[in-house]
Amino acid sequence: MDEETDLANFALDYATKKGVSYAEARYEHQEQENFILKNGVLDALYVGQDRGVGVRVLVNGALGFAATNMRTKSDVRAIVDDAIKVAKASRRKTKITFAQEDAIEMNWSIPEQRKLADVSVEEKIAEIQSVDRDLMALGLKIPARYFQFSDNRIVKYFANSEGSRIRSYSPRLRVFYFLTVAQDGQVEQTYRNYGWSGGWEGIAAWDLRKRVIDEARSMQRSLVEGKKSPEGKMDLVAGPQVAGIASHESCGHPTEADRVLGREASQAGKSFIPPDGIGMRVGSEVVNVVDDPTVEHTIAYYRTDDEGVKARRRYLYKEGRVTEFLQNRETAAAMHTRSNGAARAVNYNVEAIVRMANTFVEPKDHSVEELLEDVKFGVYMKSFMEWNIDDKRYNAKYAGREAYLVENGEVKHPVRNTIIELTTPSFWSAVDAVGKDLDFEAGFCGKSDPGQALDASLGGPTIRLRNVYLR
Amino acid sequence: MEDVSSRIVEKAISLGCQDAIADVITNRSYQIRFAQNEAVISNRWRESTASVFFVYDKRILASDIKDLSRVDEAVERLVKIAKGSQQNPDYAGIAKGPFRYARVRPDPKVLSLDDGGKYVEAAIGGATDQGAKECAGSFWKYEDEHFLATSNGVEAHDHRASLYLSIRALLSLESSGHGIACATKLSQFNPEKAGRKAGRIAALARSPKPGKAGRYTVVFDPLIFGSLMDQTGGRLGAWTVMAGLSPFGKKIGKRVASPQLTLYDDGSAESITRKRFDAEGVPTRRNVLVNKGVLKTYLHNTSTAKKFRTKTTGNAGLISPDPHAIFVKPGDRSRDEIFSEVKDGLWLTNTWYTRYQSYVTGDLSTIPRDGIFHIRKGEVVEAWKDIRLTDNLIHLLKNIVALGDEPEQMMWWGEVSIPNFVPYALIKDVGITTSAE
Repeated sequence: MDEETDLANFALDYATKKGVSYAEARYEHQEQENFILKNGVLDALYVGQDRGVGVRVLVNGALGFAATNMRTKSDVRAIVDDAIKVAKASRRKTKITFAQEDAIEMNWSIPEQRKLADVSVEEKIAEIQSVDRDLMALGLKIPARYFQFSDNRIVKYFANSEGSRIRSYSPRLRVFYFLTVAQDGQVEQTYRNYGWSGGWEGIAAWDLRKRVIDEARSMQRSLVEGKKSPEGKMDLVAGPQVAGIASHESCGHPTEADRVLGREASQAGKSFIPPDGIGMRVGSEVVNVVDDPTVEHTIAYYRTDDEGVKARRRYLYKEGRVTEFLQNRETAAAMHTRSNGAARAVNYNVEAIVRMANTFVEPKDHSVEELLEDVKFGVYMKSFMEWNIDDKRYNAKYAGREAYLVENGEVKHPVRNTIIELTTPSFWSAVDAVGKDLDFEAGFCGKSDPGQALDASLGGPTIRLRNVYLR
Repeated sequence: MEDVSSRIVEKAISLGCQDAIADVITNRSYQIRFAQNEAVISNRWRESTASVFFVYDKRILASDIKDLSRVDEAVERLVKIAKGSQQNPDYAGIAKGPFRYARVRPDPKVLSLDDGGKYVEAAIGGATDQGAKECAGSFWKYEDEHFLATSNGVEAHDHRASLYLSIRALLSLESSGHGIACATKLSQFNPEKAGRKAGRIAALARSPKPGKAGRYTVVFDPLIFGSLMDQTGGRLGAWTVMAGLSPFGKKIGKRVASPQLTLYDDGSAESITRKRFDAEGVPTRRNVLVNKGVLKTYLHNTSTAKKFRTKTTGNAGLISPDPHAIFVKPGDRSRDEIFSEVKDGLWLTNTWYTRYQSYVTGDLSTIPRDGIFHIRKGEVVEAWKDIRLTDNLIHLLKNIVALGDEPEQMMWWGEVSIPNFVPYALIKDVGITTSAE
């Protein structure tokens, strides 16, 4: 028997003998390579292997969790004892229960055309360095820049006391870069973040070199030709990156059931959507926003969540109305429904909580040209830099990075620092048309305590908003 | 565990590395998360990790070795990878020890504490006594032990333990307050006080009205001023400056804040993250970062110090230097005196989601949360909601007009990432924006 099966089954047997009403063991082995190329210099290479077991138990209606990276049976026994002890000490008055789920036995893995493990660190560094060299060959004034490359090969074994036994393998690839371009005492800054589930072929699929060079050129153009963004009510054509961040922040987060129920109130906050808010109108009838872990090659792809529930597409907003909350088994029981497979943990050593995976505006059929052609006056914002949203997910701000004035359907000169500062219903109710150019970027989604910065992707096609206030 | 650290270093050197560091860390922390006035989960950890840093011919490799039963094999594998990496010409070595360290021991009563339930109940009780209906937060007993060895003569040990509680109290979705309790001694841990503060702010924030955009004189409660100082300290690391992530580049010796502000970093001082040494083994110490508004230094490790032609400040992380704990020199005003100076302004108690349009210029916005109050002639006249602080970091620092005389230790999820010892602060001409209709 392999180590993961042996330790996980041992944990479950021991917990069951101790009389818990539910137990699960998650064994994870993560192998990571990560480096930063800062101003052309390889800062440091990080290579890590993390392997351990987390055990969660339900005892007398209270949850206890404990984890260890010391992979002996005595250490696993100790964490089971820890989890039971801290759960019993919880002294809850109301009992936590889990929504019913069928036990699953399954093996799944994400295919790699070229395995990440077969690509040397030298080749990975050389690839990013060549992008950096081509960037600098543009001859722009770039006083600061860095690229962060990371890959992570994640093997998981999940077992619970209800009979689920799931083994999975997820290889993931990510490149984050940050650029500063200067011209005549002015600076423009940007960051972009690309993710992939699969093998080394992800690098080619991104077309990273072209994206970085296009971005740098657009920054330079903003500095040279950019004018003050117009202020007032006008139309806004928002590119996939903007549609993606808005989907994540004002559709995904407010429909997380744990947030709706107050479990995250002290940290990531609550939601403007109440627990009985299914059916509430938030946007226009053309707005469908989904969260879908099953979109192939997105960085948050999975087939089963970290509670052993099968993944599926979730319609968060459909035809502008709240349709479904993201649920794990705990929140689903509290809301008298079923889990929709949204439980995820960043590693074995933290509990799985409700998380988004790949959140995006569902594409329709307009081309970008069609979206622009009947805009009399407005802004085409392709990307953003600064953004934030309040903790009830109602007041959001997105500040433009690459944006252009649009007059009579024509894209004119760049405009700098366009500000969208709107409520969630104001933003989504103004959408009158949705494009077909679906694109994703990666993000780190922060939530929980201890903080779990989790792989997520966000995206959408270009969307058009009518008559919104910009400045 | 000392043996493991030394063995890792010796093995790396025997394989040809010029520099090696190993910090074996054991984590025995314990946490209770609570929401809706009850525990939602309790967590406990038993982890041992060796954070290592190897340098082979200026090729730098960092890693965490998780399987301490097979360190020789791990070191061999890592050094082989390091040999295939690339040189970092900016690398300038690690600090030369041995060093002498302050004698610090954790409170035995904190170490022996194994049930935090009564502290959670005390905090919730404090909040509900003030009228709060719903409380959520976290209780933490942090405990970790470090066994550090370096190839430059350092062998050091640090046992750290502390208590922390964060509570958010709510009357409704839009009426809330936040309180923090931090202590290294059990006798000083006062979660009930944190709960009372959270509950009091929540009660005061009842029925908030939409805020109005404009420029205001603002009283910053310690928690939100801690967020502002956390941003400041975090942007003063030399690596951050070099990466284009700071508005403090090329500003050493220049005015970056009001003369009211003197700011220092001090990992050696009493705080819930007090540490005896940095990642290179250099003893932590007080470093004045801003003196009466003038920027004095960035935070350095050995390599960044050489690049900036100065000495390490004892702030090394394995890759980049970072602050340990930020201290604001207290001012001379009582809390009441600070409020009394506001004829028509705001009192902000907390914030989150601070983001920059340009790190180099410091243009940012952040979203106040929990109690937001309009004050006139020093008195709260109404609670507000739905505003955003939209300004510039340097502009905010330069507009500090008064500081309170009682600093409090603040640390909070996300926004105040390390302990910040901060008083009430009064800042003029602060930009406030709101969502458009």
